[in-house]
Amino acid sequence: MNKLLPFIMAGDPSLESLPRLLAEAKALGIEALEIGLPHSDPIADGPVLQAAAHRAIQRGATPLRVVETLAGLTESPDLILFTYLNPLLQIGAERLIGLLRLTPVKALLVVDLPDSEEPEFEARLRAAGYPIIPLLSPTTDLDRAKGLLERRPDPGGDHPFAQRFAYVVARLGVTGTGGAPDLAPVRERVAALQSISDRPLAVGFGLSDPQALAEVRAMGATPVIGSALVQALAAGVALETFLHTRLG
Amino acid sequence: MHATSFLLPTRFGHGGLGGCYAPETLMQPLLDLEEAFRKALDDSSFQAELKSELRHFVGRPTPLTSAPRLAAKLGLRDLYLKREDLTHTGAHKINNALAQALLARRMGKTQIIAETGAGQHGVAAAAACARLGLRCTVYMGVVDMARQAPNVARMRLFGTEVVPVEAGQGTLKEAVNEALRAWAARCDKAHYILGSALGPHPFPTMVRTFQTVIGEEARAQVLEQAGALPDSVIACAGGGSNGLGLLVPFLGDALHRFAVEAGGHGPALGEHAARLDGGRMGVLHGCKTLLLQDEHGHTAETASISAGLDYPALGPELAALALDEKIEVLRASDDQALEAAKWLCESEGILPALESSHALALLPELAKRGFTTVLLGLSGRGDKDLSTYQSKLGI
Ligand SMILES: Cc1ncc(COP(=O)(O)O)c(C=O)c1O
Repeated sequence: MNKLLPFIMAGDPSLESLPRLLAEAKALGIEALEIGLPHSDPIADGPVLQAAAHRAIQRGATPLRVVETLAGLTESPDLILFTYLNPLLQIGAERLIGLLRLTPVKALLVVDLPDSEEPEFEARLRAAGYPIIPLLSPTTDLDRAKGLLERRPDPGGDHPFAQRFAYVVARLGVTGTGGAPDLAPVRERVAALQSISDRPLAVGFGLSDPQALAEVRAMGATPVIGSALVQALAAGVALETFLHTRLG
Repeated sequence: MHATSFLLPTRFGHGGLGGCYAPETLMQPLLDLEEAFRKALDDSSFQAELKSELRHFVGRPTPLTSAPRLAAKLGLRDLYLKREDLTHTGAHKINNALAQALLARRMGKTQIIAETGAGQHGVAAAAACARLGLRCTVYMGVVDMARQAPNVARMRLFGTEVVPVEAGQGTLKEAVNEALRAWAARCDKAHYILGSALGPHPFPTMVRTFQTVIGEEARAQVLEQAGALPDSVIACAGGGSNGLGLLVPFLGDALHRFAVEAGGHGPALGEHAARLDGGRMGVLHGCKTLLLQDEHGHTAETASISAGLDYPALGPELAALALDEKIEVLRASDDQALEAAKWLCESEGILPALESSHALALLPELAKRGFTTVLLGLSGRGDKDLSTYQSKLGI
């Protein structure tokens, strides 16, 4: 089982340091990592990731520059591009696929794209090897979850974790560290989801301390660490320093 | 049992605008909202309650006022003003806010979240919540809080919590971002009353449905007063709720329909909120529509003297009607709007909201193009804009 799925915001602290960060993550044994594409209107993000996206955009981390920075990197975990839809729509499916080919990106997580809304765009990405990761939230009941998992299917065991997992949103609301989620209901939801699917599950939103990460692992799921890591990196803490107690 | 799919059309026009581009957390709440909305429309007790509240609390029907002195000044034969400025709280926003608050109460929600730009929607939501005993939180950009200060005070008097939004430009777009985030965190207890014909399905359809009372009344009133339909109907367009509310009931008529966007203080990106010419198809706040954006797909800055029009996306249904050539979209600049407000004050003794002044500003253009009888949506009153009028017009 994958022990940790870290999230970092591309361009924060800087685009120049991104290749080094990814190499460090790989050296730490990180198999997959979510990379945030900074957006002007991150409606599902809390203050920490909003601020990180804002700083990154100020420093010129446009979608194309981010993808160019990732091009040709071999020392990197598998990447999941975590993004909002509009920048992708503006690039267009064909061009996006061409750009991603050169990068370690293996899948996309598009926060504001339900599977019903851009079926052609999504089908082209999937056919090119870029599946969109399904999100399951506290408001997603089990019937709905079944449908979502079918419509964004597991490509199968010969594919890497980055393309197979489903993302379980731990709590209502936005990303962020404020108020660690009550993990009891999350445990129940994860167990219910495991009863209908063998797919790997990642659990994120609000996780930060090593104890909470360990509890998620005990559920048989992979914890996501996002805002807390982004905050640490922005404060100049080294990736390894922050992650060494959290690697599981 | 939860609703499992949308039953109403989610898209508008040939371009398929609109849709429901929402994070998964909000999908079930949106599905449930559509279901509650459909059921309410079919429920005569809801309709009766809404009608009664619109009459006794809001003050509907609003008058249709002939404006002969302004018509003569601008070279028109007849000008009729649909007086949404005379509704309780002073703008058309109350039609939608009240209806959604009634719907929220039916759904068992005890809390209301709303965004506001000009403050008119915020005040309307605050008043409706006070009346129905719902707890209300309104998100408002800090720049708008400063330029629409009287409305902030009114919301607070009605017991609403006004949360300042510092991010970005501190205007309506950021207020919507924050309201959507707050709704995701509290969607189990709270209903989000979106204030314009914007956002993910079912909001654009729902808001337009609750606003068409404007055009339905106006159409009957103009037929009664003038004995015929006008040759043109015009309204201002922020997200598009008063515009659609007035214009949609006239879609089947042989007349010209206009919506007026904020031309701001210049033609460059960032200097206006004119989405028809300046925008490209994109997704913001849950819908696909004409959007002011940069080449990276980041939302562009906007500018307008009027907080209620200062928003980067045109509502999807209005954008679709514009692209399908059912409604012509024009723009008026800050200066034109200020000048037009003065005309209405001096000729008719009516102080218009800065938003509505954008529609007034295009009247000379309509006269020049040969239109003679105009029905204009006066979406709100200008009391909230007094300090802007004072400083800009040097009174
Ligand atoms: C008086 C008035 N008119 C018009 C608008 C613009 O909104 P819409 O296009 O939804 O009618 C506003 C928005 O705040 C308003 O307050």
